[in-house]
Amino acid sequence: MRQRDEDRASRSGTASDRVLWQRSLATEMPEDAAARFLDLAAFADGRLDEDERERVAALLARDPAAAADVEAARALAGIVDDPPEARERILARAAGLVAAPPQPARVIALNFRRRRVWFDLAQWGSLAAAVALASWLGFAMGSDASLTYSQADQPNAVEDAFPSDLLDPATGFLRDLGEGIQT
Amino acid sequence: MAQDLVVGALERGERGAWEAFVRRYAGLIAAAVRSIAREATTVEDLTQEVFLRLCKDDFRLLRTYDPARAGLSTWLTIVARSTARDAMRRRRAESVPLDAVPEARLAVDPVEPAHKLKLPEALLSPRQREILAMLYDRDMEVPEIAAALGIDRQTVRSAHHKAMLKLRAHFKDRQEW
Repeated sequence: MRQRDEDRASRSGTASDRVLWQRSLATEMPEDAAARFLDLAAFADGRLDEDERERVAALLARDPAAAADVEAARALAGIVDDPPEARERILARAAGLVAAPPQPARVIALNFRRRRVWFDLAQWGSLAAAVALASWLGFAMGSDASLTYSQADQPNAVEDAFPSDLLDPATGFLRDLGEGIQT
Repeated sequence: MAQDLVVGALERGERGAWEAFVRRYAGLIAAAVRSIAREATTVEDLTQEVFLRLCKDDFRLLRTYDPARAGLSTWLTIVARSTARDAMRRRRAESVPLDAVPEARLAVDPVEPAHKLKLPEALLSPRQREILAMLYDRDMEVPEIAAALGIDRQTVRSAHHKAMLKLRAHFKDRQEW
């Protein structure tokens, strides 16, 4: 009676388990190389439980190359011989595959005093250059202005001179408008 | 174990760990490769391919090694032979002159495609598959299965339970269930 109850209880999840089983039958799974390597190695070392051992044995039965790998792994277990030929070449090539880890970056502090001297020099130099430039510019502008005004003061035409002659008593223009008439 | 320390040091990117690993296991890997290829230069090249595969993508393959499941030497031998065999297969495909290949075969991928397995074959032992098939495909009861297989009922229930755990875990990992 108790056994029957247990059997019934063990099949309580039958409906969902049945669906899961049927779904698994319709599902394909690409072979996972990494998992396969571990399965084969564990099988070779005898570290699988009974179910797993049976599963891997079934895989090996279908795959002679994998079975040969397991046999080779058992045969080579513990043998770490030196490669007789081209040892140095193999070691050098393999070692070169991985670069040495990068060194932590070294921070180089700037020399503050030296930077300050250059900064001050540049500051005073630019100030002196600005003063020199302003002086030259001012001198040049002053020269041009005085030249312009000096040229403007000189009468260079009769009509330019006429109003001043008219007003200047020294010219005698107002005195001699007519003979014998005194103004 | 010393070998675990070497792998741990590699994973941590410790300086010199790869060189130490190479020095220690180059002989074993070359010996494993030599059981696939005989010519010295080929052995050298294939050994290099094995090391390349181990350190590729930040030691992705090497990180899958589980010391609790197998010895490092055993695992490396399996990896070396498999890698060497794949590389030899590729080389043979590449070295055949184009004119020598029948036109009908030119469309075939020279690299052997990844094997696909039915899920129960990949995950479950033959006995687990058989028990599930009896339970769900042939609608047998546990006592019937126990009698048919010559095992006790508890073993049937235990195998069923473990098998369902594996299937659930598989579908849960892929969010299909």
